[in-house]
Amino acid sequence: MIDSVTLSQEPTQKAPHPVDRRARTLQAFVIGLAVISIYGLISVIPAHFDLWAATKVFIANLQLMFFSPNVGNDSHGLLFQALLASIELAFVTTVLGAGLGLVCGLAAAQNIAPSWLCLTTKSVMAFVRAIPTILWVLIYSVALGLGPNAAVVGLTFHSVAYLAKVFANTIEEIPAQTIEALRAGGCGLLPVLCQAVLPSLASRLLSWTFIRFEINFANAVVVGAAAGAGGIGYQLFVASNFYFNFHEVGMIVYYILAFVFVLEVISTKLRHKFID
Amino acid sequence: MTPVTFFRRKQQVMLFTLIALLVSYVVASIALGFQQGALLQVQTGFLWMAQNFLPTATSLKLLPAVLFQLWRTFIIATAAAGVAGVISLLLAVIGAKNLGQRHVSISFFIRGFASVLRNIPIIAWALILLFSFKQNELTGFLALWLMNLGFLTRAFLETIEDFDTGKLEALIATGTSRPVAIMQGLLPEIATPVVEWLLYMIENNVRDATLVGLLTGTGIGFLFDLYFKSINYPAAGLVVVVLIVLVISLELLSTHIQRSLT
Amino acid sequence: MLTVTALSKRYTPDKPSLQDVSLVADAGTITAVIGPSGAGKTTLLRSLNQLLKDDEGTVQLDDVDLRQLSKRELQKARRDIGMIFQNYNLIDALTVLENVLHGCLGAKSTIAGMLAHYTAEEKQAAMALISEMGLSDFAYTACKHLSGGQKQRVGIARALMQHPKMLLCDEPIASLDPKSAKLVMDILRRLADEKDLIVVVNLHQVDIATDYADHIVALNHGRKVFDGTPAELNDAQIQAIYA
Repeated sequence: MIDSVTLSQEPTQKAPHPVDRRARTLQAFVIGLAVISIYGLISVIPAHFDLWAATKVFIANLQLMFFSPNVGNDSHGLLFQALLASIELAFVTTVLGAGLGLVCGLAAAQNIAPSWLCLTTKSVMAFVRAIPTILWVLIYSVALGLGPNAAVVGLTFHSVAYLAKVFANTIEEIPAQTIEALRAGGCGLLPVLCQAVLPSLASRLLSWTFIRFEINFANAVVVGAAAGAGGIGYQLFVASNFYFNFHEVGMIVYYILAFVFVLEVISTKLRHKFID
Repeated sequence: MTPVTFFRRKQQVMLFTLIALLVSYVVASIALGFQQGALLQVQTGFLWMAQNFLPTATSLKLLPAVLFQLWRTFIIATAAAGVAGVISLLLAVIGAKNLGQRHVSISFFIRGFASVLRNIPIIAWALILLFSFKQNELTGFLALWLMNLGFLTRAFLETIEDFDTGKLEALIATGTSRPVAIMQGLLPEIATPVVEWLLYMIENNVRDATLVGLLTGTGIGFLFDLYFKSINYPAAGLVVVVLIVLVISLELLSTHIQRSLT
Repeated sequence: MLTVTALSKRYTPDKPSLQDVSLVADAGTITAVIGPSGAGKTTLLRSLNQLLKDDEGTVQLDDVDLRQLSKRELQKARRDIGMIFQNYNLIDALTVLENVLHGCLGAKSTIAGMLAHYTAEEKQAAMALISEMGLSDFAYTACKHLSGGQKQRVGIARALMQHPKMLLCDEPIASLDPKSAKLVMDILRRLADEKDLIVVVNLHQVDIATDYADHIVALNHGRKVFDGTPAELNDAQIQAIYA
């Protein structure tokens, strides 16, 4: 334990150095990003490619989508059901992710868990996060068979890893003294967690969980399209890749946008209230 | 209120919330057809990976091809964030309410534009772009770019609107023109969050690039799909391993940069 | 009675932050620890309930040497020692009542503590303490809405909820305005007199120490440089302490 009073006696005379380092890092980052961007932009355009013609087709397609949407070969009922299925997938994976993420987050928080547990948890979570969600779903589609089970397990993986990281960061922000105050009264670790840590952080943990719900909805759409796991994403994939029906693609995009806008309004309110 | 009723009410609220959550979870699981038992089979995925994904000598011969695609993925992910970043910053400066934008409609329009771009699923962008730009890297780049444009514009708008304009007014009061004041007064102040958002975007793009590649048949995602569907699991495993290395290195690099900036 | 003998604690081998400190504090008295910042006041206070482990010496509370106890025994012994802090360390999101009840968590089983299962007697005792601190109107208010002086009174009520023999106060009035500071010090004085508590207070205002304490200990660079009654402390000595 460090006595802050003793530490504050140390004179801090190294002030000019960090400023210098900040400027150099910024400079290096901007130059690096500019070089890669310009090189990327040039190299990404295929040889003899008529950019203008392609853009015109793209804009024409966007017009078809957004200005004359219709349900195509499906019905509003079917699309609505598909949207609901994606929402359900997002909800189930968020609930699982929050529950397991909280346990892992506590295990990964430096001010709660012993350092060996903290390091192990953080490494495993970093590994899980490094593999894109869609690959987890594909892997589990083979291991468990294609269907909702693989989709839920695959999406839950990433949710747990993500929430464990942000939960651990949130938990680490609690002043050590708040915990110490209860420990000083002879209180054990678990009661301190339930009575001090969780009540102080509940609102912020909930906001993060809601943000993850938004991400999980986007992922649920993706998984439907790329792994054939059903839902609105699958309808999108079929409408564009099998029927080439831009009107229906437009209608599906409107369905998704409508739900996402509702989420965005709620999350903006939550964010202003709790996270900032 | 007495202590007894206070604690009783608190417990009731807690219990009710828990039950409501549990019921919604069960209903959603049944509607989805998800069996809870699948959660106990998590280890099968790991076992399966350990058994099938270990790169073999033959798959290692594919390493140069895989590494080349990994390099392209990194370039495209970074370039999409970089190009979108410049435009987003400009849009955010124009649209921010606290930098003297007098036309509320312009502010509103930029905000709405960003929100639509950001919220259309990236796969929708990829599928639509595929028609006009065909199966090539440009399609993937544009899909990432459009999504980044929406995301970063909104992020930068929020960053700028948190900025205390008193500092700008101080510069303008000395006779500095508004554009110069923004360059000299605003940019240095918001540099750190802007860099943090860009780093986050690049990391995210690498993951999304895999997905876009799966759908548009380009890049590292396409390679994975190709090997995975042709049951060449060791090669698919090799793709996963290099992806992990790239994502974790990027994460470490961005932590390092963020530390140098504070 | 608290008896500290020859307590030493060092951070680095050549920079001792407590050196051979001894003191005796009786029940029913206030002992003020004064000295410049960095003198080791906080270190000393935290040694008294072993939140900081020392290198040498003894800390005896009623004939039990806290330094010899096992981890479990120490956790038990800490229930006899209440602590209040400069920045209160309350759970801001919870109500005054809940924060006060936190004082009896240490005496509960792990399960009861996790579920916040308090007995009717404990709830009554908490309400009595809240009204004793003049906070009856705020019992169901979240602590984030309170002023500093009110928060510190909640902190004192929480410490009293433990039924302590000794109260350790780490700069309890450093963040308060003069009026609230006086109120808090009056409460501490009353507690020492009426409940026969051992009260040890870290202070940086010498005048408050001489007004309220029965016994003053001064530290400088980790060494005890004065030990006596307020009457024995003269201006020259104060000059020397803060030199």
